[in-house]
Amino acid sequence: MTTPPILHRQNAKRSKKLQDGTVLSWTTMSHPLEGFGNRPRTVGLIELEDGSRTLGQLLGTPMIGQRVRPRMVLSSVNVEGLRTYDVAYEALVTVPSAIERKEFPGYILALTGPSGVGKTTVSRMLVKMFGHVESVPILTTRERRDGDDGEYKYVSKEKFTEFLKKGEIIAFAHLPSSTEERWYGYRKEDIQKIWKRGNLPVVITEMHLLRGIAEHYGRRSILSFGLLPPGKSKRAMLSALLHRLRLRGRETEEHLKDRLANAAKDLEFFRERADLFDRILVNDDLQTVVETVRQHVPGLAK
Amino acid sequence: MTTDITLIGQGQTKFGELWSKSIRDLMEEATDAAISSSPCTALDIDLIIVSNMLAEVTSGQAHLAAIASALLPHHPPAIRVESACGSGAFALHTACAMLESGRAKNVLVIGVEKMTDVSVDTVASALMGAADSEQERPAGLTFPGIFGLIAQRYMHEYGLTRDDLSLVSAVHHRNACKNPFAQFRSEISPDAVTKSSMISDPLRLLDCSPISDGAAAVILSSEHSSPIRIAASQIASDSLSIVARPTLTSFSATKDAAERALQEAEIKLQDINVLETHDCFSIAAVINLEDLGFCDPGEGIQVYKNLFEGKPTGFGVNMSGGLKGCGHPVAATGIKQLIDVAKNLQATNQRYGLAHNFGGAAATCGVHILEHSPSS
Repeated sequence: MTTPPILHRQNAKRSKKLQDGTVLSWTTMSHPLEGFGNRPRTVGLIELEDGSRTLGQLLGTPMIGQRVRPRMVLSSVNVEGLRTYDVAYEALVTVPSAIERKEFPGYILALTGPSGVGKTTVSRMLVKMFGHVESVPILTTRERRDGDDGEYKYVSKEKFTEFLKKGEIIAFAHLPSSTEERWYGYRKEDIQKIWKRGNLPVVITEMHLLRGIAEHYGRRSILSFGLLPPGKSKRAMLSALLHRLRLRGRETEEHLKDRLANAAKDLEFFRERADLFDRILVNDDLQTVVETVRQHVPGLAK
Repeated sequence: MTTDITLIGQGQTKFGELWSKSIRDLMEEATDAAISSSPCTALDIDLIIVSNMLAEVTSGQAHLAAIASALLPHHPPAIRVESACGSGAFALHTACAMLESGRAKNVLVIGVEKMTDVSVDTVASALMGAADSEQERPAGLTFPGIFGLIAQRYMHEYGLTRDDLSLVSAVHHRNACKNPFAQFRSEISPDAVTKSSMISDPLRLLDCSPISDGAAAVILSSEHSSPIRIAASQIASDSLSIVARPTLTSFSATKDAAERALQEAEIKLQDINVLETHDCFSIAAVINLEDLGFCDPGEGIQVYKNLFEGKPTGFGVNMSGGLKGCGHPVAATGIKQLIDVAKNLQATNQRYGLAHNFGGAAATCGVHILEHSPSS
């Protein structure tokens, strides 16, 4: 039982926890302690910059040795309804050098949203309509599936880890599912080649990838569009997604379940990290979405 | 030990989900069994030590010493001892101290826990009382969470694989099949462990000891002789929170208690023939073997590989099934371990056995060494 006096004492010490740190270990609990919600919760043992250690919720893909930055989040709600905010730690992508991060390398058009919302369709339309928009292939460790249409580059997990260690991957997401272990990422080389050709790279992202790209190239490099499925409530949105995913017919029911669980997290992410989006669009009409993107992207508006 | 202390009586209930039995029923059953196996009568007991952690939360019952005292016709004095999951070892240590001081000659030590009367959430929260309520709890951690952090770090440092870790529970379940008091008398394959549901990454359901009801009781005596003698009783402590520790992959309380116990018994580690260790989670079983000195850091899993393949290890480990196979009514475990070590020494006619019992994430630890002398 965490009593209000304990919370009060925690608050008094909170400023000490507001430091960057390094993950010493982490775990994701399927059933966290009562009051901490019903969703899996990732907690890390963090070594802070002043050498002290602390425990805190980890946001993003956890990894031992990962650098993390503090951020206040809603941590728990007790039986009386008292909402407690605490310091959580957000995983940062390994950045090769600080200078590279500060430079403005060019624009990246990012389309973010849950599976089935229509990111790939919008991206293909943009590539087709505008000669200088190029989609960036997604590096993945997952198996090739019927219906994949050239958007993925398939690599082994060992190769993916090797790229990651060498700093060649600028953003990655680790999505463990009940059926397989999947890693996704974008290679620096793929994006830079597009810039060299004078074109605008378009990336399809979810929360981890978007955060990673924003961290690597800086927020101002990203022309960021969030795509939501139609529906007035979260339940209606998820139902619309399920309908679309089933129509697409590429996934087994098992995969659909995973995708839907991830989609629910993605929808939450729109609310939590509104700062990472320039525009949030509801994809109930493809033409309107493409038109809105066109109007807001430099070089496409004319 | 300054006095010769012998184990003259022992008894336990079956461990498991015992909904029809109250905490008092459990204590009574174990006590009756212990007294009837001993050379003394109930009236010879001059002190009772009760080991319990959670009765206030899980049974709404404090004041267990009074309940224990009322089990015997002459209401001997009774004391309750609590040290989380290590309560059993600490109760035994207290009993030894009382016998050594001469304040008692025959001490009944009862370990009891009744955990299945309340919801899993309630038990998980109550067990977190064994961690730091101002460090681990506000982070939302549960005990599987704490040992998940430990396991993740261990795998990172020593390259332990998921498949290898699964051997631990497979070995313990195989041993539990032969124990009539065990909660799980069924074999499981390592593959079943690997595929069981995720509890706290990388720990899966079958890596975790269960929530159990049960009681165990022993009678320690400075008056009666017995083939089983307590050769050493040592306790040690570490910082309560894992945050304050220099390493996650080793428990200093285990090292300290084991080292002192070997000194007290005046034996070497190689003299130990059987041991019961505190395998609340499979990763703990691996670390325990390293901290007790049976192998180098990072090599604990090799012992389990040998045990799984039936190769000789030179000593028996958790032949009762351990906490994973037998069940883990937390404060009864330390007493039950002593009973199992004694039984094993007698059954195999070997000389030295060791019982290792810790509380929380080994913030407290008790190590007892038993000596078996068949001629006594």
